[in-house]
Amino acid sequence: MPEVDPLGAGEVSGTVETPGTLVEVRTSASAALIPTIRAVASDLAARADFDLDAISDLRMAVDEACATLVDVAAPGSALRCVFDVREELIGVHAEVDVKGAGATAVSTDTFGWRVLQTLADQVELEADGARVGIRLHKRADAQAT
Amino acid sequence: MSAADSEYGHLIPLLEEYSGLAADDPKRERLRDELVTGFLPIAQHIARRFAHRGEPLDDLAQVATLGLINAVDRFSPEKGSDFFSFAVPTISGEVRRHFRDQGWSMRVPRRLKDMHVSINGAVSDLSQRLGRAPRPSEIAEQLGVPVSEVLEGLEASEAYRSSSLDEMLSSEQGSATVGELVGEADAELDRVDFQEALRPVLGELAERERTIVLLRFFGNMTQTQIAEQVGISQMHVSRLLAQTLDRLRSRLDPDTRTG
Repeated sequence: MPEVDPLGAGEVSGTVETPGTLVEVRTSASAALIPTIRAVASDLAARADFDLDAISDLRMAVDEACATLVDVAAPGSALRCVFDVREELIGVHAEVDVKGAGATAVSTDTFGWRVLQTLADQVELEADGARVGIRLHKRADAQAT
Repeated sequence: MSAADSEYGHLIPLLEEYSGLAADDPKRERLRDELVTGFLPIAQHIARRFAHRGEPLDDLAQVATLGLINAVDRFSPEKGSDFFSFAVPTISGEVRRHFRDQGWSMRVPRRLKDMHVSINGAVSDLSQRLGRAPRPSEIAEQLGVPVSEVLEGLEASEAYRSSSLDEMLSSEQGSATVGELVGEADAELDRVDFQEALRPVLGELAERERTIVLLRFFGNMTQTQIAEQVGISQMHVSRLLAQTLDRLRSRLDPDTRTG
């Protein structure tokens, strides 16, 4: 009697990520590499069995966060993006070095920030002078906002 | 063509009348509707011939209808040919062009295209039933396939270039409440400080894109709820929203990111 496994739970390629997984993506702080990062975001969310709205929201939120940071990044610096895949939630921390002290800060009074606030369940801006970061998280169920 | 003659015979005089009308004749629109509706089975028949090639039948039927509209508009009875020998190649040509222009942006195996169509169907069923967007595991269960195949199919969907068919075909919005919802979202937009920068850029968007952006970011609606109101799929909303955000970002940068 062959084993039937309709949900594919036993297949390595299709299994949902174990909660607690950390994934770090580090690229040059270049807009051209953002599609790579957002592809990672949406892949992680899909494998963590997020609903389709939440997958799409997270993808766009990561896109927006990275675009915002690349804009203020010091030339030649890196964009570091860490994904924390937990039970029913993915946390994202993206960060860049900025162009020296007194550099243009990221404003939260913009449409871009509104987009982040809407797409993510929670979003915070972190700035300590030398670095600017955006920390956000998204729950697996987009409806429950 | 005798069977067709009996079925469509009453339309032939209307076709002659239509082609003789001046461009601004008020009768044109009503006559055109009647002709398109009358000949619709031909378009649907042609659409079905192209089914199972990885494009949703609904889309194909829409394209075929567009071809039919073109055929009705361009047909001139005085040239002596009959309508069918003009309309059939016109409609088939439109559908072929759809496959060429509006389809997949890279080579995607047939199996994945079929999966894309199945997923789309399952997403719409499940959204209705659950009242929210489904998860990949729920789609897999509905289709009776492993989750891994759904994940693969979703990934392949990223390579699917959304057609702008909806924009070409219907100017009227999906449901009657869309206008009200947009009105409420618009009032919310009035309350934000960046509205002066955003409004002109929103004004450059097509109506559907503007509606989707307003409902998502100022109307507090999910993509699935928007899809239902506007009458397109969740995946289509997702694509339109991502494209539009990208566009808005490039248009807004100079205004909002300096100083």
